[in-house]
Amino acid sequence: MLLHLLNRAPSSSSVHQDVLRTMGEEDGLMLIEDGVFGAVSAQVQHFPGLEGRLFALREDLESRGLAGRCDSRVIIVDMDGFVALTEEVQRTVSWF
Amino acid sequence: MRYALLVLGGPYSHQAAHSALRFAHAAIARGHRVGTVFFYHDGVYNAAHFAAPPQDEPHLVDAWRELQRTQGTVLQVCVAAALRRGLLDAREAERHGKRGASLEPPFELTGLGQLLDIGQTHERLITFAP
Repeated sequence: MLLHLLNRAPSSSSVHQDVLRTMGEEDGLMLIEDGVFGAVSAQVQHFPGLEGRLFALREDLESRGLAGRCDSRVIIVDMDGFVALTEEVQRTVSWF
Repeated sequence: MRYALLVLGGPYSHQAAHSALRFAHAAIARGHRVGTVFFYHDGVYNAAHFAAPPQDEPHLVDAWRELQRTQGTVLQVCVAAALRRGLLDAREAERHGKRGASLEPPFELTGLGQLLDIGQTHERLITFAP
């Protein structure tokens, strides 16, 4: 099981497609930095089939004014929760 | 757990260094150790000794130094990436006939092989990229 970290918005980069092609059935996806643009309702369709394992970093949502626009299918975690997710997996993979 | 962070983004141009630093503080708050931070690619600019940002902005270079001082975190900088970008410690400056060092302890110039060691000696390695 891996935790994938994505810091690019789906509208400005196609790297999220590489992530989706690579992800295993139990892998999690953590959206950080500009990646959190993918967590808003208008963009979340780029991440189908990830209910329960799609996360977005609260601090990065807030710094972009998106805290209230996050789709309900995305699990919002703070930095403490981000660290907790890395405790549960042996490896993380950063995509950029 | 023993964490290592790999920072590939330069300060003040990408969020990578900020994210890594915030992650380090959060990991420490959860009782983990951040054993090593390795700076590579433009991430080596995080070690720029002469960095002098405006006083009302976060001083990232000082923040890394503080992490070393308070937590004993080892700050390693890829020597090949650093020399290309003009970051030389006293020894390298002398070797290349330059006056003054632009990289000072607690930052250490080291080879990329160290990154492989880090992967084996730390339980988690998290990459923060530009």
